[in-house]
Amino acid sequence: MENSKVMDMTIIGGGPVGMFGAFYAGMRNASVKIIESLPQLGGQLTALYPEKYIYDIAGYPKVSAKSLIENLDQQMNLFQDKLQICLGQSVQQVEKKNGIFIIQTDTETHYTKSIIITAGNGAFEPKKLPIDVMEYEKANHVHYYVNDMKRFSNKRVVVFGGGDSAVDWALMLEPIAKKVTLVHRRDKFRAHEHSLERLKKSNVELVTPYVPVVLEGEHSLEKVVLHEVKGSKTIELEADDVLVNYGFVSTLGPIKKWDLEINKNSIVVNSKLETNIEGIYAAGDICTYDGKINLIATGFGEVATAVSNAKVYVEPTSKVQPMHSTSLMSTKS
Amino acid sequence: MTTKYTKVNQETCIACGACGDVAPEIYGFDEEGIAYVILDDNLGNSEIPEALWDDMEDAYEECPSESIKIANQPFRTENN
Repeated sequence: MENSKVMDMTIIGGGPVGMFGAFYAGMRNASVKIIESLPQLGGQLTALYPEKYIYDIAGYPKVSAKSLIENLDQQMNLFQDKLQICLGQSVQQVEKKNGIFIIQTDTETHYTKSIIITAGNGAFEPKKLPIDVMEYEKANHVHYYVNDMKRFSNKRVVVFGGGDSAVDWALMLEPIAKKVTLVHRRDKFRAHEHSLERLKKSNVELVTPYVPVVLEGEHSLEKVVLHEVKGSKTIELEADDVLVNYGFVSTLGPIKKWDLEINKNSIVVNSKLETNIEGIYAAGDICTYDGKINLIATGFGEVATAVSNAKVYVEPTSKVQPMHSTSLMSTKS
Repeated sequence: MTTKYTKVNQETCIACGACGDVAPEIYGFDEEGIAYVILDDNLGNSEIPEALWDDMEDAYEECPSESIKIANQPFRTENN
């Protein structure tokens, strides 16, 4: 990996504000890296409400969360030669040595001259099964994401959950897997009607209202034991893999231990969007100051300010005030 | 007989709207989008009808900040 390269800026959190920040870093001719805990960009908008409409983005009378993220992705990729994206990593520690920040994630080490935290409400983590599955999780038979569909080819897969992602993944895996069973603790699913129609017509077996009790198997996962909700029946399903879709929970986690000034789970910044640690900035929902409001619209403005001030921190001869994009883009081939 | 009560921790609620989507008869939102229990203005002292328990559980599961609280007895207002 070329992660030993020292970036000008590293953005922690790939939600809308982080993505616009990466674009803005490109505008300021800075190299930039995004570190995101989920395996995809978009933060809350992608993880929690992709189909919902947002009405308070300047210049958009109405835009779905999903298409806003698609547009931000396109905008950010204008500068893709200076951009690096690291998905599925959550930051743990940071230390500063000889003016360079060393960021440790759960899988890698990153080097950067400045940091911009746009982590919203913190890193998203999938909610775990409420039973002990450690043994099978280590053996890679309990999944919370699907990174590689082929992994499930010809396998018996049990999917847990009742929301859109549980239903969508069951449908995606059905043509590939040997068998897909969807288990939910109530008869009613909270997925889109369209997906539920497809589910009815598919070969996905539905088992409701049941919850998992224990996973069993000698050397590998062999079966899932389920118990009826408000009933006494226990059933067993043969299974090679289970996929858990119980939603996400967000936590500020290790960032709290970075000696940043924190007020009610938010990072305190000044009018340059700088934190109490020189070279670390924060923007969007995670930052707070007198008069702060939490909107995507204000986050976009904050991150442009943070990036421009970080630019001066990294390169003291540069100006805080950026050029107009109209004149800047006319010179970009 | 089991009784159930619910309350939203408004200090940790991130106004994502998930609870009101899945349990609109229980959870509403104030003008800032922060969720509250409609039935008792988030005091947590109104018994939730059994017909709504499943929806309430859905909301509890969907909440990304674990702000939805469920208990078998009424919440005491002074300590959340």
